[in-house]
Amino acid sequence: MKFKVKFLPDNKEIEVEKGKSILAAAISAGLHINSSCGGDGVCGRCKVILKKGEVNTQPTGRISAEERKQGYYLACLTTVESDLVVEVPVESKVDLEKVNDEDEFASRLKGIYAEPEEVEEIDIIASRELFSHSPLATKIYLELPQPDLDDKISDLERINRAIREVKDIPIMQMGLSNVRNLGKLLRSSDWKVTVTLGKRNDTIEIVLIEPSDTSERNFGFAFDIGTTTISAQLINLNTKKVLGTKATFNKQATFGSDIITRIIFAQEKDGLERLHHAVIDGMNSMIEELVHENQVDLNDVTCCLCAGNTTMIHLLLKVDPSFIRREPYVPTANFVPVIRASEAGIKINPRGLLACVPGVSGYVGGDITAGILASGISETEDLSILIDIGTNGEIVLGNKDWMISCAASAGPAFEGSGVVCGMRATKGAIQRFTINPKDLKVSYSTIGATPPVGICGSGYIDIVSELLKTNIIDKNGKINTNLRDSRIRQGEFGREFVLVDKKDTGHKQDIVITEMDLDNLKRAKAAIFSATSSMLKHLKLSFDDVKKIYIAGGFGTYLDIEKAVSIGLLPDLKREKFSFIGNSSLSGARAILLSIDAFGKADEIAKKTTYFELSVEPGYMDEYVAALFFPHTDTERFPSQVK
Amino acid sequence: MAIELLKMRWSNAINEVIIGATKQDGGSRSSVVKVGGQMSLPYLSDEGNIPNPPVIAHEIWDVAPADWPEALKEPFSSVLGKPVEWAKKCVKEFKAELLCLRLMGAHSDYGDNSPEKEAQVVKDILKAVDKPLIIIGCGDNEKDNLVLPKCAEAAKGERCLFGNAIQDNYKTLTVACLADGHSIIAESPIDINIAKQLNILISDMGLSAERIVINPTIGALGYGLEYAYSIMERGRLSALNGDKMLAMPYICFVGYEAWRAKEAKASEKEFPAWGKEKERGIAWEMVTSTALLQAGADILVMRHPQAIQEVQKTINQLTGK
Repeated sequence: MKFKVKFLPDNKEIEVEKGKSILAAAISAGLHINSSCGGDGVCGRCKVILKKGEVNTQPTGRISAEERKQGYYLACLTTVESDLVVEVPVESKVDLEKVNDEDEFASRLKGIYAEPEEVEEIDIIASRELFSHSPLATKIYLELPQPDLDDKISDLERINRAIREVKDIPIMQMGLSNVRNLGKLLRSSDWKVTVTLGKRNDTIEIVLIEPSDTSERNFGFAFDIGTTTISAQLINLNTKKVLGTKATFNKQATFGSDIITRIIFAQEKDGLERLHHAVIDGMNSMIEELVHENQVDLNDVTCCLCAGNTTMIHLLLKVDPSFIRREPYVPTANFVPVIRASEAGIKINPRGLLACVPGVSGYVGGDITAGILASGISETEDLSILIDIGTNGEIVLGNKDWMISCAASAGPAFEGSGVVCGMRATKGAIQRFTINPKDLKVSYSTIGATPPVGICGSGYIDIVSELLKTNIIDKNGKINTNLRDSRIRQGEFGREFVLVDKKDTGHKQDIVITEMDLDNLKRAKAAIFSATSSMLKHLKLSFDDVKKIYIAGGFGTYLDIEKAVSIGLLPDLKREKFSFIGNSSLSGARAILLSIDAFGKADEIAKKTTYFELSVEPGYMDEYVAALFFPHTDTERFPSQVK
Repeated sequence: MAIELLKMRWSNAINEVIIGATKQDGGSRSSVVKVGGQMSLPYLSDEGNIPNPPVIAHEIWDVAPADWPEALKEPFSSVLGKPVEWAKKCVKEFKAELLCLRLMGAHSDYGDNSPEKEAQVVKDILKAVDKPLIIIGCGDNEKDNLVLPKCAEAAKGERCLFGNAIQDNYKTLTVACLADGHSIIAESPIDINIAKQLNILISDMGLSAERIVINPTIGALGYGLEYAYSIMERGRLSALNGDKMLAMPYICFVGYEAWRAKEAKASEKEFPAWGKEKERGIAWEMVTSTALLQAGADILVMRHPQAIQEVQKTINQLTGK
């Protein structure tokens, strides 16, 4: 039996089988409801309000008695038993709105991604000085001599000969379709053509032959495919100029906010297909918009370069990622061959190329390879550390001679998941927070300067730091009940502190931090810190040996270094050792797109980098437990924090 | 050629904690007990000064302990349920220099005594005997938070040692100890990190590190003794190497753990091969205690007078008395 489900306020209607979950119905209707746990009834993010109709639901601690009275249900645990009218409240919606204008981009995504200027800076290290300008795809305009009885080599040989006159390329490939068209094309274009040469693995391919001179118009895209956010950059391959940058949510988040949940989802019926489409859709819509805004012809976009974690790349290429999850955690491919973008469903020039940055292992992907490249740690004698803070915190240690990397499962707390009022770094997220030590009054700023609706990672770092400083919480992350303050109360998930009263919030609900949140944040910071210190210890090195620490990802330029140190996320070193490099994955991808040498370098980095498995490191657990304290059990490691 | 023994030189001493206050210090005890202060591993007095030998605290209860085995109840049969008499007996008959009063009567399973009633017990004992006192709550956080501050107030000036503060419930007791001049026992679940964290949390509230005693939590012989042993040893090594936040004396509740062991409780009927019940429990308490002395215990809280007597002999031998 089928029933109609209508979703408010979008007024979208869909017909589904009886017994299907409201979450599944919403997905079918093209609505994106928050669901961090992937529909397991654990995260409590998919709350909806039943306006009309019959449902079946399971008991859950995620709906308060008050909410139950108002008709709240968890969409994932509630099934359709009649025609329904369901309202999706603001806080349950995934904000898929894209960032269009540059200013808006800068202000909204500061928390996640570096502004263009900062990306440029990294570019200096990555490609301008070190790598030649040799894009993945180059265009050459050729005026071929017409064949005559003295010069009667074939069309194909003729074009190869002309290319070799300008470029030293011993081996060239060409696809059959190009060969088929060649004879007619050369003659109809009066032997004046533009060839696009693309690097395909170890050879050069004549990707495209077009009539007349289009060599001025050669564009490419660099992508960072993150678990949470996808960023795209349109680049003029001739001038190296960045024409525009955009970011959008990875729509895969609807199927689970972390990698493991998505790998599990990929095993379900049509799961892989849907995950693949979710990411491709996001990429294609960004391509379309950037191309349109910059008046670039889609046919002049000749290549794409993607950096992403290993699972994201598998899903992009619709390759089954399931083996990454199982011991011994081997991915299908770390080094993905250069393919035609259209094979993966990416809409650029139909013969355009798609390359992926090689990864190190199942849990240290091409985004990190790109990050290493962009940070420049692989080019210097100085011992450096790259920390990419995300759900899976990746850490790289080394210099130009050696590199070692590990992945620490920090959990999604710094990405605003698994915390009661957490959210991604989008409009309305609290990103800066201070508490006046005298009167304990709070002040904060939100992304987009709108009334707050939640807290993003950089906000949480500020909040924990400020709560510690004002003794509202102790070093164990427990709220000080001896403090007589009406903002301390017993909530549904234990003791909590009200950060922003509902009268001041965008969704008219209190924004709180609970002891459970503090526990999750403590674990996340402990995972990152202890992974870094364990790796150093393993190599018989200490933080003092480290000359430079690059922080990437998660909160990019908005991370308050002082506060990150005060909670023990980052080591207590001279502040000038730290550099924020924002989205190092995207800048690395751009460098590779613009230089075949950089691509070679990335290959070398991926091959050279050793993977360090934390789970089998004997001292790791001990380091981790010692780090489960603000800032650390061994206070002497944080001398600047001793009062 | 004479062999020169290699000697370890440590950089940090364990804090000395004084339990009890004489008239001179504003209390009414006839003597005080000092623990800690050593700058070496147990009994290696050649390597560093060991000013104070380990001490044994005799455990007494405010109420009659229902679940103690007969063999353990027997020496106290006339005083069970009479804490003042019990205290007197320990001091007079068993020559106790230190008592540990467990306020089990506050627990809902043992009578749910009011804080006022427990405070009166403390007062009465302090009046009846003049030895220093350790005071332990019933183990129910909420109730202890009501009872212990009252008792701390009742014992103001007597410089008692109060316990147990745990990571999730240390603030109330810390405040009480601060206000009334007592020291505190910080309990951690056989975990060196939590032990240290709790010491930091307590000293952050203003109670100096010199007034904290670590209860590392132990297991009896056959029940995890080796875990406790290695944690204690590790903590002590860190402390002697300079970690001030672990440089506290250890208190071990041996009686509580040893008499919970099946070997101490099971009847002879049930396990004829194990021998007499009476001897088993005592032996279990003794063996556990002597192992912990080696691990670095400074205060042993024990129950059976005979076990106490034997362990005291061992201490005397080890310290060359």
